Amino acid sequence: MLNRRDLLKLSSVAASSLLLPAGLRPAFAAGEDITIGAPLPMSGPFAANGKFGSMGTAMIVEEVGKVLDRKLGYLEIDTEGKPATAVRKVQEAMERGVTLFAGGILSSEALAMGKEVAKGKGVFITTAGADEITGSECNKGTFRWSVPTFGAIEQTVRPLIEQLPNAKRWYTITPQYVFGDGLLNAAKAIFKEKGIEHVGNSYHSLTEKEFSGYLTNAMAAKPDALLILNFGSQSSDTLRQAVSFGMKKRMTILLAWASGLEQFETLGPDLMEGVYFGAQYWHGIDSPFNRELVAKVQAKHKMNPNYAFASAYLTTKILIDAAAKAGSTEGSAVIQAMEGMKYTGLTGDEEIRAADHQVIKNYYLLKGKAKSAMKDKDDYADIISFGKSFQSPEQAQCKMA
Amino acid sequence: MNRASLHFLLAALVAIALPLFMRSGTLASEVLIFAMAAAACNLLLGYTGLLSFGQGIFFGLGSYAAGLTLLHTSLPLGVALVLAAIAGAVVATGVGWLSIRRQGVYFVMLTLAFSQFFYFLAYTFKDITGGDNGLLNIPRPAIGPFSLGDSWAYYAFVAMLFLIVFAALQRVASSTFGCTLLAVRDNEERARAIGFPVRNFKITAFAISGAVTGLAGALHALLIGVAPLSNIEYHMSESILIMTIIGGSGNLFASVLGAGFYVIVSDLLSSIWPRWLLLLGGLLIVVALFMQKGLWGLIERLVVALPMGRRSAIKSPIESPIQPESEGRGI
Repeated sequence: MLNRRDLLKLSSVAASSLLLPAGLRPAFAAGEDITIGAPLPMSGPFAANGKFGSMGTAMIVEEVGKVLDRKLGYLEIDTEGKPATAVRKVQEAMERGVTLFAGGILSSEALAMGKEVAKGKGVFITTAGADEITGSECNKGTFRWSVPTFGAIEQTVRPLIEQLPNAKRWYTITPQYVFGDGLLNAAKAIFKEKGIEHVGNSYHSLTEKEFSGYLTNAMAAKPDALLILNFGSQSSDTLRQAVSFGMKKRMTILLAWASGLEQFETLGPDLMEGVYFGAQYWHGIDSPFNRELVAKVQAKHKMNPNYAFASAYLTTKILIDAAAKAGSTEGSAVIQAMEGMKYTGLTGDEEIRAADHQVIKNYYLLKGKAKSAMKDKDDYADIISFGKSFQSPEQAQCKMA
Repeated sequence: MNRASLHFLLAALVAIALPLFMRSGTLASEVLIFAMAAAACNLLLGYTGLLSFGQGIFFGLGSYAAGLTLLHTSLPLGVALVLAAIAGAVVATGVGWLSIRRQGVYFVMLTLAFSQFFYFLAYTFKDITGGDNGLLNIPRPAIGPFSLGDSWAYYAFVAMLFLIVFAALQRVASSTFGCTLLAVRDNEERARAIGFPVRNFKITAFAISGAVTGLAGALHALLIGVAPLSNIEYHMSESILIMTIIGGSGNLFASVLGAGFYVIVSDLLSSIWPRWLLLLGGLLIVVALFMQKGLWGLIERLVVALPMGRRSAIKSPIESPIQPESEGRGI
């Protein structure tokens, strides 16, 4: 008698091309031995980031080719930028034996996916921003490459205060949720320590598109510096409107959490000139591994790697190297190999802290250039300073289970 | 076999066929969960003529209610699901009570406003809901000796609830209450003049719809282990409405078709083209212009076109409210 499993196998022959979960088809059609899952927002509002992330993953997988004598492949998983979809598709991938995942650009989807992957004894490395990923919600299966909010503020606000000793009055614009509050609290701590007057803060929602009201309040407070703490299109809109209000001429503007090249291309040099930006990655970083990556991407894609591309390339490489070191793709072995791993990364020497799975890496303060000073079409900014600042795992409230 | 039995049989066939033709228990579960939500939406849209953008509220509340119950109490799964349904029903009663004071576009605007209101409540009270990060770590406890950890085991549980809910909704739709809803939809003034308490009927329809949608939201949270903020967003209401409209608001099984089509086709299209939502938008335009009875209407036409079908043409007991002005009152 035919049982359900047999029926499933028979029916799948006929139906697999149509009903196999969409994002899973390429990898299984190719029949690779080791598959890295790449859950990225390929559609929806963050599709542009997903596209470059996928290119980065594809490049390193193609470059390495084989690991542990097995062919390497990757599985593009379209999260649609929705946590529910992301978790569902990751569950489906895990049911098919994928244990290693690199991706997750949005905090909400990364947090949810990390939990799911950890539950399935897999490994997930992400570049998402929420502090909880390696903080209060840290778990054995989740690693994070990007610097949390504390380090982003330490490496942007602090050096800028030192560079601009006369900027004594600061105004902040903050998205009202956990990420925004993380940035704001870190900034307030520095203001207090340095005797800076925090002349005001405007909270806005995550769906806000119009910032003129907040900017009017900021101008009325007559600050010396405006600290923009939102990100993505919201930070671009805030900056555009601030520049159109003439605020760039009246005060210093710092956008603490910029996306880098992909965002700068939409802003353009006229808006960016003289504005300071915080960034996780910039293609102009002077490190051996980054120079190598930039040359490879220029040769292959005739472009400079942006943050989404470079971070996906590196995080996937970390997983592959860890699997090679562990001699296995089994989650627990790869986790053990990753904990405490030191390697030459895009930002120089990088290390994965074992206690909370946070990668210890540099964060950068950039300054927008004038169009006339740009050496090539992507030379939007100069690196002003960089460094590593991290809370201890205890301060970050990570209690690894 | 009467029409209700036929539709129940078709729903049961869908529940049985999904594991045979799909390789993902998670996706199959999602189809049935949204089928429940779409059928509940249909009770308002198809049977009562109320185009509600508030379905996402009940879905999200169901997710949060079940998640909070399982995270902070030791109550069993069944109780968490019942609480989610109650939360959906109670809030739907409130939303319905206020919204039905206005008709047509003002009713739609009110449900939209409530949708935004509850979204921002969930967003603001992040200590309870997890805010933008969502409510994480929602467990999926076993039911007695039966573990629901495996995706197909969970599917079996969802399928069982789906069939119970579908049968219950059919019972409601075919009862005197359901027939009265149709009368209210077709001519509210006349129904009132005959002596029906129209307002109470509409509120009751809202409460039933809210309870079922809340239950669907709870099952969704258990499926993915998280209650994301997107579950209570306006877009969730929009998605549930689209499923209902694509399926056709003529009967409850049409909503199952709509949900299945939407969930599976979205999953397929998203890998083919990042701008797949454009295709979905195009499909909605086609449905609105040429297929006002949705997929079910298309099946009806095909059946009628067959030689056998001409002799026993299926005729829906109710007409879709999405039709030319002269044929119905609409919203």
